[in-house]
Amino acid sequence: MIPYWHLIKHITTREIKARYKQSFLGLFWIILNPLFQMLILSFVFSHVVRFETLGVPYSVFLFVGLLPWIFFETSISASTNALVENASLIKQVYFPREILIFSTVFAKMFDFFLASAILFIFLFVLNIDMRVMVFVIIPILLIQFLFTFGLSLLLSSLNLFYRDVQFLFTLVLKLWFYVTPIIYPIDIFPANLRWLFALNPMAYFIQTYRGILLEQQLPQFSSFVGNLIGTLILLFISYTIFKKLESSFADAV
Amino acid sequence: MTPIVFDKVDKEYFIHYQKTLKELAQAILNRGKIREKIHALKNISLTINKGETIGIIGRNGAGKSTMLKLIAGVSQPTRGELSVNGRVSPLIELGSGFHPELTGRENIFLNGVILGLTEKEVKDSYKEIVTFSELNDTFIHMPVKQYSSGMFMRLAFSVAIHSKPEILLVDEILAVGDTNFQEKCLRKMEEFKKKGITIIFVSHSMQMIQHFCPRVVYLKNGEVQYDGETKKGVELYSKES
Repeated sequence: MIPYWHLIKHITTREIKARYKQSFLGLFWIILNPLFQMLILSFVFSHVVRFETLGVPYSVFLFVGLLPWIFFETSISASTNALVENASLIKQVYFPREILIFSTVFAKMFDFFLASAILFIFLFVLNIDMRVMVFVIIPILLIQFLFTFGLSLLLSSLNLFYRDVQFLFTLVLKLWFYVTPIIYPIDIFPANLRWLFALNPMAYFIQTYRGILLEQQLPQFSSFVGNLIGTLILLFISYTIFKKLESSFADAV
Repeated sequence: MTPIVFDKVDKEYFIHYQKTLKELAQAILNRGKIREKIHALKNISLTINKGETIGIIGRNGAGKSTMLKLIAGVSQPTRGELSVNGRVSPLIELGSGFHPELTGRENIFLNGVILGLTEKEVKDSYKEIVTFSELNDTFIHMPVKQYSSGMFMRLAFSVAIHSKPEILLVDEILAVGDTNFQEKCLRKMEEFKKKGITIIFVSHSMQMIQHFCPRVVYLKNGEVQYDGETKKGVELYSKES
């Protein structure tokens, strides 16, 4: 994929530019959308249910989980459609098709960074000591990126053959949101059930971000390696399937 | 290196009638057709030499587009060997990489890169691309969704022919723009021909084929019915259809 750097860059910029050009507030929506989601959820949950939230306001606790979730969710739904949307391009000229998926996820990561600016302002105002901890996030974020990319490769290629995948996954994502500790802390579950979260990579990422940013806690080595290996296996399987199906993309769309 | 060699190439693909699981379930219950095998190309052996301009003729569904897709590398042969050497520029599905919200300028860069140019190469031929497309300065900085369809096609065409092709795939070139622009495109084709660029030309216009191509391949139901001198090939085709 390296010789295709220019292509990745231009398709990613297309994804980003095309979106903000359509609206009056443009790029601001990328920041405003997660912010409003956070405000709505935190209004509901700080009045209806009260959670113990690591000693920070609920809104901040929520935001740390919500931002990486939005990155994941928007990436998956956009890339599931990416091949279908670029059908005529796929019929015209050859380039490795994973570039379309990679660029889609990459563009969503750009959104994620932009929206995170607000979070860091919050953390700064709350006087939370971040310093070195911020850099610990990078490897976790990288794994999340690879995990998202892997799943996107799989879903996008399957969706080309059966469009149900996109509808099915919209539902799956809704459910996935609630089984991931985003709006609630993991300790509302009895200790003997918490192992269930270990099966959910998104739970791992969000737990780890919270640990790093809000508790100055380094990620555990064993679970880090476990998630890395799991992600690489997923990526390998998805990539193999994607490449196997790739030669018939142009015949199928 | 010979630009294009087909060696006993077969292409089959499946048409899936169902795009959703619901349709699939219904089809299985009713014992309906789930998919159909299309044998688009049968045992094609063909050598196209450097600098040749070759016309592909045949009725709809004869396999002309499939052949172009194979040469463009977007589709793979089912059996047999196909070797393609050189940068392929497809003048098919024109403008498919264009994004309506991006400006003409942005789309030039995006598409140049998609067609295999580096950013610098696009920058270098940017002026030429704009001049050839006959778009003025105001339009080039406007989103292409505001272009007329003629302007859109002119720009797409201009990017494609400036992508430093070694092999040019042309599908019904006359569909682009007004008469003036069409003549300009034809002149450009002549220019490419003189430069020794290999051109594969698909058209239903026998007049164009006879004007451009010394050699013609007549496809019928996926098989090569005739390969050789244009006049004879066109005569055979006209007689049979």
